[in-house]
Amino acid sequence: MSKLIGRVLATEKAPTTMDEFNFWTNSDMKLHAFDIVKVEHIEGSFTFGVIENISHITDAQSFLTNFISSDFGDVNIDEPTLRVGMNYAKAKVSFNNKNLYTPVHNNAKVYLASADEITMALGLDRVENPLVCGSLRMYEGTEDEVILPVNLNSKFILGPEGAHLNISGISGLAAKTSYAMFLMKAIQDQYLAAEKDDSVAFVIFNVKGRDLMAIDRPNDFATDPPGEKERTYKEYKNLGLTTEPFKNVTYYIPYSAPNSAKQSTYLSKDDVENYIAAKQLKKFKYVYADDKENIEMMFADVDDPAQTMESIISKIIDKDDRDFGNLETWHEFMEKVSEKATKGGAGDKGDISILSWRKFKRVVRKALQDDMFANAVKPANNECRLADELKHIRANEVRVIDIAKLPEDKQAFVFGDVVRTIYNLKLGEYDDEIGVQPPTRIVIFIDELNKYASKEVPKTSPILREILDVTERGRSLGVILFAAEQFRSAIHDRVTGNCATHAYGRTNSIETSTRDYSSLPATYKNMLTRLEQGEYLVQNPVFRSLLKITFPKPIYRQFK
Amino acid sequence: MSDRERIKVMRIIEKETGGKSYKAHKYSLDDSERPSVDYGNSEIIWKRRAETTVHRNYVNLGPLAKRLASMDDQILSYFLDGSRRVFKVDDIAYAKSGGRSVIYPVIAGQIGVGCCRRINKRIEPAKYKREYVLAMPDVADADGKPGFWPATAKKLNECEELKRLGIEFTTILPYKTSQADDKKFVDRATACVQDRMIEREKELVAELVREGRLNQNNYLVKDGSLEYRPTKEDKADRAKYLKFKNNYNYVIGVSKNFNPEVCEDINGKPNPGYIAELPLYHRTPVAEYENPMLGDIKFAVWYVRLRDKSRTRTPFDGILKIEKILVTEEENEVGIDSELVDLLSAYIINERNPVCYGADLRWANHIYPIYLTESFIKSKYLNAESFLNLF
Repeated sequence: MSKLIGRVLATEKAPTTMDEFNFWTNSDMKLHAFDIVKVEHIEGSFTFGVIENISHITDAQSFLTNFISSDFGDVNIDEPTLRVGMNYAKAKVSFNNKNLYTPVHNNAKVYLASADEITMALGLDRVENPLVCGSLRMYEGTEDEVILPVNLNSKFILGPEGAHLNISGISGLAAKTSYAMFLMKAIQDQYLAAEKDDSVAFVIFNVKGRDLMAIDRPNDFATDPPGEKERTYKEYKNLGLTTEPFKNVTYYIPYSAPNSAKQSTYLSKDDVENYIAAKQLKKFKYVYADDKENIEMMFADVDDPAQTMESIISKIIDKDDRDFGNLETWHEFMEKVSEKATKGGAGDKGDISILSWRKFKRVVRKALQDDMFANAVKPANNECRLADELKHIRANEVRVIDIAKLPEDKQAFVFGDVVRTIYNLKLGEYDDEIGVQPPTRIVIFIDELNKYASKEVPKTSPILREILDVTERGRSLGVILFAAEQFRSAIHDRVTGNCATHAYGRTNSIETSTRDYSSLPATYKNMLTRLEQGEYLVQNPVFRSLLKITFPKPIYRQFK
Repeated sequence: MSDRERIKVMRIIEKETGGKSYKAHKYSLDDSERPSVDYGNSEIIWKRRAETTVHRNYVNLGPLAKRLASMDDQILSYFLDGSRRVFKVDDIAYAKSGGRSVIYPVIAGQIGVGCCRRINKRIEPAKYKREYVLAMPDVADADGKPGFWPATAKKLNECEELKRLGIEFTTILPYKTSQADDKKFVDRATACVQDRMIEREKELVAELVREGRLNQNNYLVKDGSLEYRPTKEDKADRAKYLKFKNNYNYVIGVSKNFNPEVCEDINGKPNPGYIAELPLYHRTPVAEYENPMLGDIKFAVWYVRLRDKSRTRTPFDGILKIEKILVTEEENEVGIDSELVDLLSAYIINERNPVCYGADLRWANHIYPIYLTESFIKSKYLNAESFLNLF
């Protein structure tokens, strides 16, 4: 039987409406924002509301009344009678089980809702293609606490109905990567378990330390308190997931010369050797002949208003170009560029000014100073070209690309290359090649999206262009972007605008005061600044309102 | 049912009393509550000092009040108040000798009396009574036969409209129309309703006393003067009556308004200044008085200042008049125990907080539990519009 907790208030100044209502409760009643309550309504129906705010009032007419009540400001005075006070909560109408959205009546009974009712009120009972995205906790800290798994419609996150996920929140406190990994784990679990018409694979970028470089190894919970493992496993089981880490994982690290002191990855030498022995790791290289088309990725952050860089790049990738058509190595390429940039040299002709060539040279020379720009790939030494590898991605595979130790411009280069390859793969450009069997959907996960798609990125940036292509057309092609960033307000509007699912983690009040959050009620904004690690507000077209969810700790190995 | 078919109260009154209703403007007679000096009842006779210790000056209770507050203990548990709302609902004409007729006002009143109990610093309703009454000119009873008014009230209550609303007029109070003094008819009628309310208050006090809810750990604080009146039944059994009387030990009356003229100084001269000068958290010595209207009962009365004079509008704001009945033989002879007076006064002083500043102009003289009891009673009134619409 539902617990009666209060009655609806409707007055001249604070009427109940189709959208919201107020109700009073006992001042000691523990309720939280996002808790669902049930209200008796006409024709035996029930209206459900989501609590937005709770206020406490007393009969004191003004602050002065309270001040006078302490003998005009004696802080030690205790009153023999407690002032009459009450709590009233403001709730947003979310659902009526008979579709009767007339305002609820004054003094109508307000109850706590049962697990089934909450599911119904939030519209979670009718979610098709359910994909678990976390669990929901109601009436936290009371004897009536309810914990429910929350499912969203996978067609609204992986397409074709809606696609892309955007996660925002402060580093560390929001656990953005963990949440993205949790969702991908849920997706992989689901696709591994069931025969489906479609299939999915993942391309994940490791941008920090070794964070995602052991996602197929179980979490040992070494730094957690005892019992944490069992607790976490139980949570996974309750959500209908396995307790195993990712399957079919391959890692890619940038190539570095064996004799070089500089390492291109945070993995230890032993780890690298172990992975290689298990045939799970390859070192990627860029070869001039095949990768010259990606040179433009080096210019993602360079302003090019007169499009001179663009004309240089199109000259370079032109196969019939007199100067660049026959080059084979990065070295030859640099020589040619130097030649063009030398005053009075053989190249000082044509319509591109020497100053432009010099600018081009500056950028390219800096970018190419890395072992991964090489002359040839030796497959026997576990070397590869990323594009070649990604072309052959298959269903349920996970490819982790380690760019953590690369400088920013090279990170952008690799990311741009990968996005372009995946996009072209799904466009069908490589369909003629042998062994190309792409899954119907490929999820790309990138942290620090602000580096590539912030509002400040030059409009000419080829990477921004790739990202916009993915977010705007990827839904139908099957290229899905899972992106995370600290500050959502910094991200290009066309990118966030095209994401069907948004997860808001803990953030600060400067961020919540921006326009991107203006649609949220003030209480929710404040709540965003208080969220615990592992708590998210999730927005998805199938949910009737924002949901506050939690998710369990990562199931794969953690590096602290 | 259309409006025309509805039979209003005044139509029945008209019919039953043979008067002529003038369908006059209906309005409330209550003025807003404001601080006032009650020039009251001059019939009170002051007698001697009435406490065991003879104080010649004000008694400082500040330290005792502070000590009690820190102990977080309480003996003031019940709070009682009565309230009434009066409306002039019509003018009605009755024939007089010589073929002329005189117009009299008809007054309707809502009376509420209630009692709240304090448990763990929270106020909860304990008892509540409400009634609707009418005040009519006595000449409306043409025959002057006993039982006329109850019969008329009964007729009234049979009316469909009242039944539908679940409203019942408990009685019709006749007010005097003879030209003995210069009081207006409206005031006389209002006084009838007021008397009725006091009557109900007394009943409620007696009820609490009879139920034995009051004892040395649970005092009743009654708003206003203490009227002590046992019923005939109470007096019938002597043992019961003694017990009843004894239970009045645990009732005190606390008045916001009082007549400072009545207070006498050490020399037995009326001296309002003596009260006005009362320092903060002090009490006056206890005096004894008798009210011939209430029989042979003696009252002890004293004054306590709750609020600093510099914080209030007039020197009489912030002073409460406290009354207690002298119950035992001993009390009647040597007066009330001074220690008890100090204790009760100190508890009353601690009631100074919280205040209802902003909500009630009389905040300086109100104590919060009484204020809440009053608010509780008022919240139960039928709203004025609905009430007036009955007539």
